[in-house]
Amino acid sequence: MSRKEPQIWPGISRRTFIQKSSLVLTGLAVTGVPEISWAVHGDTLHVRNYQDLTSLDSVSSLSAAEGIISAAINQNLLRFKPDGTWDTQLDAAESFEQIDETHYAFRLKKGQLFSNGYGEMTADDVKFSFERMVDPAMNALNRPDMGPLSHVDVHDRYSGTFVLDTPYAAFIPVAVAGPSGEILSRKAVTAVGGRFTTEPPCSSGPYLFKSWQAQRKTVLVRNPQWTGRKPDFEEIHVYAMPDPKTAEMAFEAGELDCAWISVETVEPFKQNMPDNSSIRVLPSGRNYWLGMNQENPALTDIRVRQAIQYAVDVEAVVEAAWFGLAKVSNGPIPEGMVGHRDSALIPPKGDPEKARQLLSEAGVELPLRLRMDVNSDSLELTAVQVMEWSLRKVGIEVDIRPQDNSTFLTIGREDLGDQWRDVQLFMQSFTGLADPYYSLTWFTSAQLGIWNWERFSSEEFDRLSDQALATTDPAARSRMYRRMQDLMEESGCYRFITNSVMPQIYRNTIKPAFRADGYTMLREIRRPGSGS
Amino acid sequence: MLRFIVRRGLLSLLILFLAVSLMFGMIHMVPGDPATVMLGPKATPEMKAEFSRRLGLDQPLAVQLGRFYAGLARGDLGEDPFTNREVTVIVWEQLPYTLVLVLVAIGGASLLGIPLGCFSAIRRNSLLDRLTAVMSVAFIAIPSFVVALYLLLWLAVKWRWFPAMGAGESGNLADQAHHLVLPAIALGLGWVGYIARMVRASMLEVMEENHIRTARAFGLPERTVIVHYALRIAMLPTVTILGMGIGTMLSGALFAEIVFSRPGIGKLLYEAVLTRNYPIVMGSVLVTTGFFVLSTLASDIINAMLDPRLRERQGSGE
Repeated sequence: MSRKEPQIWPGISRRTFIQKSSLVLTGLAVTGVPEISWAVHGDTLHVRNYQDLTSLDSVSSLSAAEGIISAAINQNLLRFKPDGTWDTQLDAAESFEQIDETHYAFRLKKGQLFSNGYGEMTADDVKFSFERMVDPAMNALNRPDMGPLSHVDVHDRYSGTFVLDTPYAAFIPVAVAGPSGEILSRKAVTAVGGRFTTEPPCSSGPYLFKSWQAQRKTVLVRNPQWTGRKPDFEEIHVYAMPDPKTAEMAFEAGELDCAWISVETVEPFKQNMPDNSSIRVLPSGRNYWLGMNQENPALTDIRVRQAIQYAVDVEAVVEAAWFGLAKVSNGPIPEGMVGHRDSALIPPKGDPEKARQLLSEAGVELPLRLRMDVNSDSLELTAVQVMEWSLRKVGIEVDIRPQDNSTFLTIGREDLGDQWRDVQLFMQSFTGLADPYYSLTWFTSAQLGIWNWERFSSEEFDRLSDQALATTDPAARSRMYRRMQDLMEESGCYRFITNSVMPQIYRNTIKPAFRADGYTMLREIRRPGSGS
Repeated sequence: MLRFIVRRGLLSLLILFLAVSLMFGMIHMVPGDPATVMLGPKATPEMKAEFSRRLGLDQPLAVQLGRFYAGLARGDLGEDPFTNREVTVIVWEQLPYTLVLVLVAIGGASLLGIPLGCFSAIRRNSLLDRLTAVMSVAFIAIPSFVVALYLLLWLAVKWRWFPAMGAGESGNLADQAHHLVLPAIALGLGWVGYIARMVRASMLEVMEENHIRTARAFGLPERTVIVHYALRIAMLPTVTILGMGIGTMLSGALFAEIVFSRPGIGKLLYEAVLTRNYPIVMGSVLVTTGFFVLSTLASDIINAMLDPRLRERQGSGE
């Protein structure tokens, strides 16, 4: 008597299935699975973003991660050139000129359309976009970017004038060309209740916003109504990838065209470069320094702080933590920006002998034990370990305390308790904008206990800070900012480390474009040979 | 059986309440100011104060917890202060990715681990048994993230058989399944060894039982004895472990979600903790804890269904 084989599918018995699938698997094992390419497909560009979106609305966007995307879908009157400088060029404006220290006139190009049927961009849209930023009812997070902007006078459908209460040197780079100066449609934004976050109601740039999937990606598509030079890609997929290691693997696997990578990966990549790829190590707008709380009893004597300044070998720190890719910093203002200093007052290698002498003059009993707070980021941890080594050589022992970013950001805050009094040394970093004022504004007396954790307070510094922001003469501003950085260094509260770098890896099938601070300029990325 | 389910259900609710309340307290005790992190450097003290008021952070912890449960009773977990989107929507968007990953990982591990454990027990001390033992220990011992990295390096970067990141295109099941392979292997591989060892040990114990000898004495085919009599009993501890495994994997999926850049509840929770996004943290914790409790409850019920003695003991309140 024969037993009927159990059927797992009509006509397929279990035995047959196992036999057939074994054959297929063996065949694949022998011949190898054909390589599947996940690389750049056709007209789509795949780019890494270092974090997910929270808001694309200029009143509430917080980071460059949003700026990367919003700059591709929106227009400003002026935009930054894709040449690695902070120079600007016309964008939505046909003309833009400074009339006097508090008035700037603009004229829009005609025929620039907002998507989703919101019509042509007008001077009234410019007025709406800027005035909502300074409207107290909007409580705009980016309100400070607008400085003393009073209002916008509209003359006709395409032209108008910005009116400032006082001169504001950062008006063009920060307010007009920066993410806060993106022009939105009054009709569209009003229709969604006056503000939005991750679903912009319309846009007018070379790319349009198509979709956003939380923790995954944002998809942009070519704007068919765009009257400027046709964008080179049909779609741009921007992936939210906070972990650079994942991005590096994804790039190697051919799934990304352009990615910001970590500094420690640059050399291994250069040794074994993925096919058809290049790396560019760009300057970054992120300034790193060692801060000292001058109100902590252990650091009230300026000679102790100066001893620490002289003890730290910044060259060794940069070599170890940035693998020699970054330059030693001469102050918070990076190279290429008004106010950048050619050299710091204290030599990069420091002077351990002088440090010992200062400690001796201060009558400090050695070893001096100090606490050093730091963000628990591998790069910063490496940097403070090298500093610890430098400091130990002069008799200062450091207790390193790594903390997660959210905790670290509160250690110097006065409004959250007395913990700021215990802060002694800390490694801090901050990303600047396109104007030097933003690099130094955090060290004024008004910032004591907010971001000024060093408790550095100088009347001259405060006065210069206000004057420099109101001075439009670049030479005069430069002198003021250089003096401000001297004052910071002379206070003994700061040891400047580096302005860092931003390594970007990309396929040679694209012509990438980056801002002066290393961030990707999506709308400017081209295909090789497609012209500039 | 109904009485058993009701008793276990109530106990599960109590566990959920305690776990979520504990987590609520712990999160708020961790230092860090959400307003500073979320609003960035440009925010004025007034903006930060208003933000804290909006999130209810200016209230005592007990009041905040009470509000959380009151909202929960209405099905409202609040809003993400970053994007102003509802937390329930955000969590439910991410949950399927993690659930599918966990189910595929544990399902795959069971499909491999149970037969391996069975064969090892039946062919005790054979070459297959020894090989399974070595492989099981190796699978358990290798950290999952190491497995994930090597899978990525070989199968995604070197040979490009599988994608290295993401979860596939929405609506494209084949693409999503393809994106699931590597993370599921990374997450489930350790469980293959664990399940195999557990099934083997249970089987060896059960095979010595009197009722198995009786079944054999009655002349039942060996296959029937093993599958219908031995394995059914031997599966009891494995089902319990699988129930807990699903719960553990829900939070353990984090590494796979980060390494493979997949969306999911683990990554959502991780990033929310880093940014002190309390509404998202609580929503994610509630859901993961809920699923942990649910999967444990389900394994208890399955155990009771498989083992009438347990059902009767629980039913009679013993």
